[in-house]
Amino acid sequence: MRPDASKKIAAAAPKKGPNPVIIGAVIAAVVIVAVVVAIVMGTSGKSDGTAASAQPSGAVAADAGGILANAVPAKSNAPTLDLYEDFQCPVCGQFEKAMGPTITTMVEAGDVKLIVHTLTFLDDNLKNGFSKKTANAVACAADAGRFLEYHAAVFAAQPAQEGAGYTDAQIEEFATTAGITGPALTTWQKCNSSNQHAQYVLDTQTAAEKAGVNSTPTLQLDGKDITKTLTTPESLISQVKLATK
Amino acid sequence: MNLQGGGRRADFIGLLARLILGVVLIWAGAAKVTSPAVSARAVRAFQILPYDFAGYVGYALPIVEVLIGLLLVVGLFTRASAVLGGLMMVAFIIGIGSAWARGLSIDCGCFGGGGTIAASQTQYPWEILRDVGVAACAGWLVVRPGTPYSLDHRLFG
Repeated sequence: MRPDASKKIAAAAPKKGPNPVIIGAVIAAVVIVAVVVAIVMGTSGKSDGTAASAQPSGAVAADAGGILANAVPAKSNAPTLDLYEDFQCPVCGQFEKAMGPTITTMVEAGDVKLIVHTLTFLDDNLKNGFSKKTANAVACAADAGRFLEYHAAVFAAQPAQEGAGYTDAQIEEFATTAGITGPALTTWQKCNSSNQHAQYVLDTQTAAEKAGVNSTPTLQLDGKDITKTLTTPESLISQVKLATK
Repeated sequence: MNLQGGGRRADFIGLLARLILGVVLIWAGAAKVTSPAVSARAVRAFQILPYDFAGYVGYALPIVEVLIGLLLVVGLFTRASAVLGGLMMVAFIIGIGSAWARGLSIDCGCFGGGGTIAASQTQYPWEILRDVGVAACAGWLVVRPGTPYSLDHRLFG
């Protein structure tokens, strides 16, 4: 053995490379900064779901929010339907084709109290803004007392290709289709172009998530999720009848 | 480098484990890093963490995944990165198992997407099996972090 040689090697070893502590600290600092920036960016501009700013008429003050779609108050013994939809969701479009007319008939007859929650999470998935734009536009229509009509017009024009969205001209047309005219139309146009209910739209999404609803369409009858039980319009009608006190 | 019998085979397994763990983490992180809001919702859909905290995890997770993945691919701080990567996999396995046990129908959102899906579309056994396999790679590296073609080897000898 040659002890002097091994000493030399031992003495030389630490100088061989850079200091791992410094490299590690730099990497850790970069991660921490990146994570903090991501969290700050992610949470800024979001709502806590409790803000009461610029609510459309018909806005429900209950926990999960939503817009009351009944133009005339429902019968006192009528059960409540909570409908969660995103205007860009193709399955919601199919749901509206199958169930929409039945629900509308029940609402008009006052057999159910319908609360519609216009969700907007698909904007993030599809990287566009059409869910929020139409959710604001339908809230403006609620101000004009034409919520269900506008709602139906949007779904009737849903593009075959998910994510293709709605043009500004279409969003204007829906208002006419929904029967908004005269001064009400001018008010609607102002509300639409100024994105008046933008905060309310964000609040609706947040409130739904907090209520544990993270897919669309979701239909709740008196708070109970019945989406998967709906095979035909008749199955909905019979469940509503059962829930009528 | 290990000169004992089987050392070269162990080196090869270590390199493979490092690359698998690293590439999976980069892939998973990169798929989510450009859609932070979707990632936050995917974490919330597990209904385990409180609403706000789940959001923070959703925003932070993709960045941490990409970074640990990069460290593993270049082989820098292999043992520490493998410990963190392995702990993340264990957390994912617990989360997916918990969602399964509670009867939730969600996509794990591991590689983007996430949220509620039809019950028939859930893939819990496969998602757990995959994460167990990746966790095994991490386990190997924690025990034997020395691998060929690593910066650890180049820089720190």
